[in-house]
Amino acid sequence: MASTLRALLEWPHLRRGLLIGLCVVLYVAPLAVGTEYRLFIATQMGVYILVAIGLNLLNGYGGQVSLGHGALVAIGAYAAALTMVDLHWSFWPAALLAMVMAAGVGLLMALPAFRLSTWYFALITLGFAEVIAGLLTEWRALTHGFAGVVGIPAPKAFGYAFTARDLYWFVLTLVVLTLVGMANLLNSRFGRALVAVRDNPVAATASGVSLVRIKIFAFVLSAAVAGLAGALFAVQKTVITPEDFPADFSVFFLLVIVLGGSGRLAGPVVGALVFFLVPELLTALQSWRLLIYGGALLLLMLYAPHGLVGAAEGLWKKLRARLGLPNIPPTPVAADAPIRAIDGAQLSVRDVSKRFGGVAALASVDLDVAPGVTHAIVGPNGSGKTTLLNMISGYYRVDQGAIAVEGRRTENLAPHAIARAGVGRTFQTPRLLPHLSVLENVLLGAFTAEKHSWLSAALALPAARREQQASLAEALRYLEFVGLRERAMELAGELPHGQQRLAEIARALVGRPKLLMLDEPAAGLSLAELDRLGELIAAIRGIGATVVIVEHHLELVADICSRVTALERGAVLASGAPQDVFSDQAVVSAYMGAHVRIGEKGA
Amino acid sequence: MDPDLIVNGVVAGSLYALVAMGFNILYRPTNVFNFAQGDLVMLGAMICASAMALWSLPWFVGAALALAAVGLLGLIEERIAVAPVLRRSASGHAWVITTLSFSMIIANLVGRIWGPDPIAVRPPPPLTTETFELFGANVSSYQIALVAATIALAAGVESFYRTRAGKAVMAVAEDREAALLRGIAPESLSRWSFLFGGAIAALAGVLAAPLLYASIGLGPSLLLKGFATAAVGGIGSNRGALIAGYVIGLVEALAAVVLSPGYQMAATFAVMLIVLLIRPHGLFGHPEARSV
Repeated sequence: MASTLRALLEWPHLRRGLLIGLCVVLYVAPLAVGTEYRLFIATQMGVYILVAIGLNLLNGYGGQVSLGHGALVAIGAYAAALTMVDLHWSFWPAALLAMVMAAGVGLLMALPAFRLSTWYFALITLGFAEVIAGLLTEWRALTHGFAGVVGIPAPKAFGYAFTARDLYWFVLTLVVLTLVGMANLLNSRFGRALVAVRDNPVAATASGVSLVRIKIFAFVLSAAVAGLAGALFAVQKTVITPEDFPADFSVFFLLVIVLGGSGRLAGPVVGALVFFLVPELLTALQSWRLLIYGGALLLLMLYAPHGLVGAAEGLWKKLRARLGLPNIPPTPVAADAPIRAIDGAQLSVRDVSKRFGGVAALASVDLDVAPGVTHAIVGPNGSGKTTLLNMISGYYRVDQGAIAVEGRRTENLAPHAIARAGVGRTFQTPRLLPHLSVLENVLLGAFTAEKHSWLSAALALPAARREQQASLAEALRYLEFVGLRERAMELAGELPHGQQRLAEIARALVGRPKLLMLDEPAAGLSLAELDRLGELIAAIRGIGATVVIVEHHLELVADICSRVTALERGAVLASGAPQDVFSDQAVVSAYMGAHVRIGEKGA
Repeated sequence: MDPDLIVNGVVAGSLYALVAMGFNILYRPTNVFNFAQGDLVMLGAMICASAMALWSLPWFVGAALALAAVGLLGLIEERIAVAPVLRRSASGHAWVITTLSFSMIIANLVGRIWGPDPIAVRPPPPLTTETFELFGANVSSYQIALVAATIALAAGVESFYRTRAGKAVMAVAEDREAALLRGIAPESLSRWSFLFGGAIAALAGVLAAPLLYASIGLGPSLLLKGFATAAVGGIGSNRGALIAGYVIGLVEALAAVVLSPGYQMAATFAVMLIVLLIRPHGLFGHPEARSV
């Protein structure tokens, strides 16, 4: 028994086999049991699932709470219904208009929120839903007020009008295609960027992801899907009135995905299924609906934040563990990729100053790093080393002075733009995405190296797949380079601290930085890890990248760096070859009091 | 401009400023924007109205009852809907959904207990809602008292932030961990601010009731208008809330006359979006500190 079960679970095509089987059943079902009522309910469920899939992209993966998706569906439904009834458009251009309208109106409304905290977005979308609900009844000339739009025709193709069953198949096909496209998209650079923006915005920008652009992308795509669902909603119901879009419509969709599993691909499907399987319960308790929605949302958020799918995943892992099967998926195979050389960039920092309130963190600092050189910045705590890194990488605004990478001025660029210009970096506390695998974290670093569009990622076009394979090969190669290939498929959050640092270095390297900046890479490393780090930095120099390293560990610095700049209280104390800087009287006294000489202790 | 329009705008604006101040008091130490605030305001109005109508209690006993009960409910909200998710992730935004859920639960329960009919509330004597003419506008003594009370409250809250306890609140808002190291306990501050935020919400409801009637419809509309006010004024700034309240109250009064009452919400919303596009942190707000 256990061994058959194990054999079944180990069957590599288990998941795909189940899904294809399910699809076949869903396609064939209406021929066998397709009463009109059932078809109506099933089609409606498909429409709701479509909305929920779009919302899941935004909320589950992007971390943005939209309380206006019901209103976006209403916009799509009205756009399609009004053009089809009043202007006699055919369904296809009407559906396209529904998508464009939902995306456009939604974007206009959410634009200011993208620069602000997540909850602004939630409230603005909530207010927007209220405004739309008001306009549906108020703007009678356009919307026909409470009477609604009547007699919406069925879609036609080549003169043939869709029956209820055809519409079911059509919606089912759209749901399947959207799910497949979403799975492809989430598996691409866009999916990883979205999760990075949700879980660690700093990691995202350091990898060249623009926070605003990726949020707008997720919202527009999600709104367009809601608009399409709205058009289907209209042709399915044939009559739409403002009452079809109640105030809690948006919350309903949120509940569907939280119940099913927010941030899980199957979440919206499972959530909608549960909702439609208990309709009797809901009609009997209609007047308690808000209480039930609210109570369910609260309990789910507190006790099952990943919903039913998340809970099932937990059980699945337990089952596999009980059967002695590994829960870590096998590392994907990729063609062997050689590590390509990098043209190191020249860095020049001229007269840069930074004040925080009344404190001068940096006072007219100069720093010159020649291409391919490994340059250390040392100094006591609070001397401005990390501040300088943060200014070069754009996280702090430059009060005064100029910074140039390869002669190109960067001091006014946003962090993601500087990353795109070839400046990679790591942080004092590693900024990884703890819920993604180490490999996925490293792949995030390839965001700017890959060039394919979101559409070719969603459609898995050959060009996109080729690029993704190349990134995968590169990522695995760099994981081997830093000694983490064996742990590629483990969750990044479960790595020990020292290995998280190494993974972060690999992520920066995958972006092929011309200038790599490491912020205290040796802090908290064991002796063995320290040796490995030294070799690693030497190897990086070997590839050709310029390296700037902020470090307290002076032996390491003396070993691997050819130039050193010492800072104290925001000013440059000395700059030059390590032995010169470390024997400089001012540096020695700043560091450890007047009497110690670094070279004498046999370093 | 019609003087009555200005009166209506300033009075409505004062109410929105009161709601926004409730948001601010809660937001400062917790960085949580309470989605149930509108319903807490509504509940305050309902409790006060019922105490006066059913048990014929005097106005301020009813008001005190409402403040105490809603403050307590705020505390309960913090315990069951906010503290658990903040403990899981202090920087996460799960509280958006949990406070929203809490608001849905209150709205549904209040609707079941009180029913949909609005309850009329008399202002505390000697104030009345009878209007008289002043500089060509029709005003009532209650309206004047409401506007004055709002200004006094804003000044009072701002001066609190200059005291030692007030500075502790600001410190937690700025950097929770650093404040912890300085011996400030964010957990207890967070409880206190929900208690006070709840009481201020009830106060807004109690003060609004003689003008707007107490009804369950108050909740959602005051949540959104209070948010628009807080956002335009700058989240956390009570002076900003006061001025933004007047702006939004006037825009709304104007929209009702020029367009139609049905477009009030759209007009408010449009003003808020334009302000946020130009100044993302509102008229008096500060951008949040960066953390790298």
